[in-house]
Amino acid sequence: MTSTTEPVEVAGPGGGSTRRRGRRRWPLLLVFLLPALALYTVFIVYPLVSALQYSFFDWTGTRQNGFAGLANFRDLFTKYPLSEQVWRALAHNCVFFIGTMLIQTTGGLLLATLLHRSRRGKRFLQTAYVLPHLVSPIVAGYLWSLMLNPQFGAINAALRGVGLGSLAQPWRGDPHLALPVAIVINAWQWVGFPMLLFAAALAGIPEEYHEAARVDGASAWKSFWQVTFPLLTPVLGIVTVLTFIGNFNILDLIYALQGSKGNPAYSTDVLGLLFYRTAFENPDANAIGQSSALAVCMFILIFGISAAANRFFRRMEARLK
Amino acid sequence: MRKFCTVITALGVVLAAPACAPSTKSGGDKVTLTVLSWRPEDTAGYAKIFAPFEKSHPKIKVKFKPIKNTEYLTVLPTELKKATGGPDVVQLKPYGPIQSLISAGNLAPLDGQVDVSKWDPSVLQAAKGKQDGKLYGVPYAMQTLSVLYNKKIFADQQIQPPTTWADFTAACDKLKKAGITPLSTSGLQPWVLAIDHQIFGATRYGGDDFAKAALAGQKNFTDPDYTASLDVTAKLKPYYPDKVAAVDYPDAQTLFTSGKAAMYPGGSYEVGPFTKTNPDLQIGSFDAPPAPGAKVNHALTSGFVDGSYGVNAHSEHKTEAMELVKWMATPEFGQLYANTLKQISAVPGVTPGDPLLAQTYEGFKTHGATYMMVVDFGYGNPLGRDQEGEALQKMLSGTSAADAGKLVQKGISAWFKPSGG
Repeated sequence: MTSTTEPVEVAGPGGGSTRRRGRRRWPLLLVFLLPALALYTVFIVYPLVSALQYSFFDWTGTRQNGFAGLANFRDLFTKYPLSEQVWRALAHNCVFFIGTMLIQTTGGLLLATLLHRSRRGKRFLQTAYVLPHLVSPIVAGYLWSLMLNPQFGAINAALRGVGLGSLAQPWRGDPHLALPVAIVINAWQWVGFPMLLFAAALAGIPEEYHEAARVDGASAWKSFWQVTFPLLTPVLGIVTVLTFIGNFNILDLIYALQGSKGNPAYSTDVLGLLFYRTAFENPDANAIGQSSALAVCMFILIFGISAAANRFFRRMEARLK
Repeated sequence: MRKFCTVITALGVVLAAPACAPSTKSGGDKVTLTVLSWRPEDTAGYAKIFAPFEKSHPKIKVKFKPIKNTEYLTVLPTELKKATGGPDVVQLKPYGPIQSLISAGNLAPLDGQVDVSKWDPSVLQAAKGKQDGKLYGVPYAMQTLSVLYNKKIFADQQIQPPTTWADFTAACDKLKKAGITPLSTSGLQPWVLAIDHQIFGATRYGGDDFAKAALAGQKNFTDPDYTASLDVTAKLKPYYPDKVAAVDYPDAQTLFTSGKAAMYPGGSYEVGPFTKTNPDLQIGSFDAPPAPGAKVNHALTSGFVDGSYGVNAHSEHKTEAMELVKWMATPEFGQLYANTLKQISAVPGVTPGDPLLAQTYEGFKTHGATYMMVVDFGYGNPLGRDQEGEALQKMLSGTSAADAGKLVQKGISAWFKPSGG
């Protein structure tokens, strides 16, 4: 904001008055900032602080009872079924993240690299890969659940049609398949995002580097790993952190695919779903206390790991320079 | 600049003004009662049902305010917490889910206000506080559980509704051979599997006698009769749709309504929607015959209360709201409700207009059993129904009945303390 007003200041009489004038402009700046700040406070800061406060109290329905200390947090880790569901959901989130990194991030990098060299159809293919991004995860989940339907679905019908009926599976119903299937669908939807970021980074690497590598006799494979890949580290860091945050907060797609219970038999349960159930489908009178405690734990976990990962990648980046 | 600030302030005042305006009240001394419900599809029906009440109570107007059923339980506590302007009468889920509303003081007790002297105590239990034993709602509907079947398919295949387990499996085998799915159900939804278990397994575990023993702590869910009843349900897998574990609830419904499946173990609440989806569908109902080794030697029709109507403790028109729920306990309301919405009324003495519902309700009255996992073990986290459904899902993918029983016991014992024994 200040930078845009700078030219006007320069035209003014002396440099010394700039600061004074800046101070006089504060009310105006405040008027512009206040709406955003108010919205941010009401919708981000207040819920965060109130969740923290709620988590330290005992609740009966919507009535707040006395201060409970860390009892809600203790319940999360010691009271069955929560004690079992929290760890199971966390493990599923971890599997989801690893699977997504393997499929979605690697796939995004592969597509970006292939498209970087291609001459024809680049724009079209880029758009095509990003297109699922525009569909709401709830809609995507619903559409995939139709396609994966064992009775009426297109996928098993197609497999049977080409004589591969033995490969037709209860895709959403087998406890061992349900989570991998969700990971693949999620990757299908979001693969365009890392692809775009990698494509931008690839475009920013000067062609001279590759030429120099070629002159030195490096193969295309070696040139990619020794020259291109290290230069992609900053983007890889951003993609990793954003994927982590997205995956650990995931709720919508799994809800649309498998309902609030992470069917079958909780095999697709994740922290987001567990929070939803603990808050809104919990027969325990202390639902608000327990779910707030879970929300606080999730926030600390995601914030903590994201911050640590950010620092790690910054340091890697610094080593590149 | 100053002008700009003035404009912004003025704009702010203008925008904020309507929020402070007093809400409009209904004219004269007529009181408008708001009835909160999770059934938007019943709006027209309720208008018909409340009309005679408004006629006999000229000073009361009833406004039916439905909220989408998936959002109702999230909205209800907030609505009841409002100091003013909240709903007066609210639709309540039965058994466990209302307990936190009761202990939070959101509902007004109805004892002494509503005449329920002729009511079956087991029906009233659905709307009572577990802690204080007071009544907080007037139950409006009952649901029964039985095996619904496609009459045309049965006639084409020359099958009679079975009365023995051997007849039942023979019928299933015959249907399967003819390329028809014998039993349509959803293995993906734990609550559907729990209903299957109640329908096919109740005779095997012993019906209400077992429930009583379990409530008293004399038996638990590792009991061989109970685990054998889980096995009865899981062993029907060959007769369920192909890859039943992945079959979702709407798919199971569609298989039955489209005539691809001959039988559908389910509730009386399905009859209305099924007939709406396929008006040509001729639906019959029979009770699952006693399973091999059954503790009860005759068939059982299981049932449970669907919900009740209670009064908001902070209602601004409590006297009038009490008048309304008092009326909801009369046969006049019961008959109107049963006829208009094609349901089984919970009011004693009222018979459903629909012959199929009349048949299942008669079954419940003469050889009924309570839906144990909802009626008796639906009061804590995890709900009995959910835990049993999870155990059955695991059995569909290979877990033994004994391990499934242990899982159910583990879940229920997390919150349930037996009353004695």
